[in-house]
Amino acid sequence: MTHSVQEAETPTDEELDAHILARLDLLGVDLSVLPEDDADAPADRRRILRSARQFLRSTPGAIADFEFDPAGPPPSMYPSEQFAWTRE
Amino acid sequence: MSNGLPGLPTDATVDRRAFLERMTALTATAALTPVALVSSRPGPAAAGDTPALRSELPKAGMIQATEPADLTVVEAAQLIRERDLSAEELVQSCLDRIDRWDGDYRAFNLVLDEEALASARRTAAAPGGARTPLAGVPLAIKDNFYTAGVPTTANSYLFEDFVPAFDATAWARLRDAGAILLGKTQMGPLATTAATTPDGERTTVNAWSPFDDDVSPGGSSSGTATSVAARMAACGTGTQTGGSITNPSNAQGLTGIKPTMGRVSLQGILPLTYTRDHVGPLARDARDAALMLQIMAGPDAADPRSLGLPPVPDYVAATEPPRGSRELRWPTRIGVWPGYLDDPTPPPARDREQQQGDRVGSTPPRAERGQEAFARRQVEVEARREMLTTLEAMGAELIEIDEPSHWSTLTGWPFNNVRLPERSEIFLEHLRRDVRGFGVSLSPWINGLLLPGAEYVRGQRARLVLLKSILDDVFSRCDVVVQTAPFPFDMVGLPLIAFPIGFEAASTAGPRPIGALFGGLPYAEDRLLALAAGYQRATDWHRRQPAEPDSFERPPSGRRRSRIDAMDVMELAE
Repeated sequence: MTHSVQEAETPTDEELDAHILARLDLLGVDLSVLPEDDADAPADRRRILRSARQFLRSTPGAIADFEFDPAGPPPSMYPSEQFAWTRE
Repeated sequence: MSNGLPGLPTDATVDRRAFLERMTALTATAALTPVALVSSRPGPAAAGDTPALRSELPKAGMIQATEPADLTVVEAAQLIRERDLSAEELVQSCLDRIDRWDGDYRAFNLVLDEEALASARRTAAAPGGARTPLAGVPLAIKDNFYTAGVPTTANSYLFEDFVPAFDATAWARLRDAGAILLGKTQMGPLATTAATTPDGERTTVNAWSPFDDDVSPGGSSSGTATSVAARMAACGTGTQTGGSITNPSNAQGLTGIKPTMGRVSLQGILPLTYTRDHVGPLARDARDAALMLQIMAGPDAADPRSLGLPPVPDYVAATEPPRGSRELRWPTRIGVWPGYLDDPTPPPARDREQQQGDRVGSTPPRAERGQEAFARRQVEVEARREMLTTLEAMGAELIEIDEPSHWSTLTGWPFNNVRLPERSEIFLEHLRRDVRGFGVSLSPWINGLLLPGAEYVRGQRARLVLLKSILDDVFSRCDVVVQTAPFPFDMVGLPLIAFPIGFEAASTAGPRPIGALFGGLPYAEDRLLALAAGYQRATDWHRRQPAEPDSFERPPSGRRRSRIDAMDVMELAE
């Protein structure tokens, strides 16, 4: 059974912001050095969080929704060898 | 040089199934291989790999140019070899144009005028004359290529004081072939977005529309593209993660090739991803692109992605016609995508009515932009039809191709975003130190930190599904396929070539080039170059030159350059 992201209860902006900031805090990445809301700044917290919320609402769920053919490729992160592959 | 089967393109010798397996292996290799940042040391460049020129080159009497800077690389190299032109004259001609026009174009962020002239004099003084393939040819190098002793900033705050101790392998090979470093070119910060300063002010303009910021110069390699299109450099280099070679090439009437993953070493390139970064030339025609790629390509012990690949074929020879014929070098089946030749849909009637009303006012209306886009699309489709008709007359076979299964899903934005965690990991220390160092391009780096590992691995599995569908469903029926966007082939590391096929009618902003984009099988750069060169034997779009800035009405002095916004960056990110 698949569980589409569209079927899930959509987190609020506040919930997503808390998730984003907690994740960044765990990594040691600090957004508080940015201005809160400054259209003249190259980046500010308001725009960075807005972009991150859009990313979270659009990307992880859509990737998770894709159903692989059971005969599809195995995870390919760490195959063990390279090999000659031309016909020569 | 030989692929072992003389007369055949490389794609006729490659086992497609094994390429798929190799792509799987590359994912692991890339994940296990530390990528060079500022502290890395170079691996040895493959000395002696520079191939000899086998192909017939134009004779001096056949070359037509009003000034040295107008010459193509192949023409200039030939004239310098025959001592009909000095390297110093050629470099000075480019420097004169830079001095006169780059204040308008802003294609360079560093010009090495004295150093370039000194290199040109050394070329002239070389014992035995200039015998290397690029002797005395001045190149524009994108500013994410390491250049020993020369600042390499990637237009980013993070590298504003960075001076590499060694050359990127690709540039080292061009240098060893005699090329002269004319300067470093403007780019999107860290190779994202159009060329801007680190804080988002647009720098480089399209050489065909130097005073209209709404005309895109292309993607992050647009500094190189503008320098080549505007005849300020003979040729240049770019990198492509999401269209950054082919988009600016199409936007500025150039021929650009993004080779297969691994064909050109990434050693000494400031990285964006492990799996999608590619290095290639932006050139004035297919022969220049072939010569440049010939020199840049090949194995490099410092980049395992470049090892164990088929031998580099003779790209320059691939651009020559069959003996006694003007047809394509090889019989080629061209896959034509659904909708590629469809006429555009006119804008809604209410927009047209609104447009009539809006003309009373002074604000450029949205509907007018829609009408302009419709008109552009009409011209583009007609240019595509004529291009395919031309190629068909040269012996190509046109094949209607259906979209592979899951195409729209696997090439859509979410799966395209799977590249983002790679850049975030590469720059994690910088992110932890101070996010302000990323300037206007911060968003994709933050977003890459938010994609969980499970989805990243799933995305890597999906890349293999996409590659398999392209190989099985598309290339089982054709040899090359038209593309309308670079992302699908960027995602799976397949080669792309961009070349000009026409122009929109002139307007006050200047004519806009129309380009075609073709994708090929693994390591089929020779097939793609042969196709573009064949088309360029029958047409002259690639010889058109943009008017100089003085031909346009200049905006009032003090005009402020436009900016990109941090929210735009995710859409522009490459």
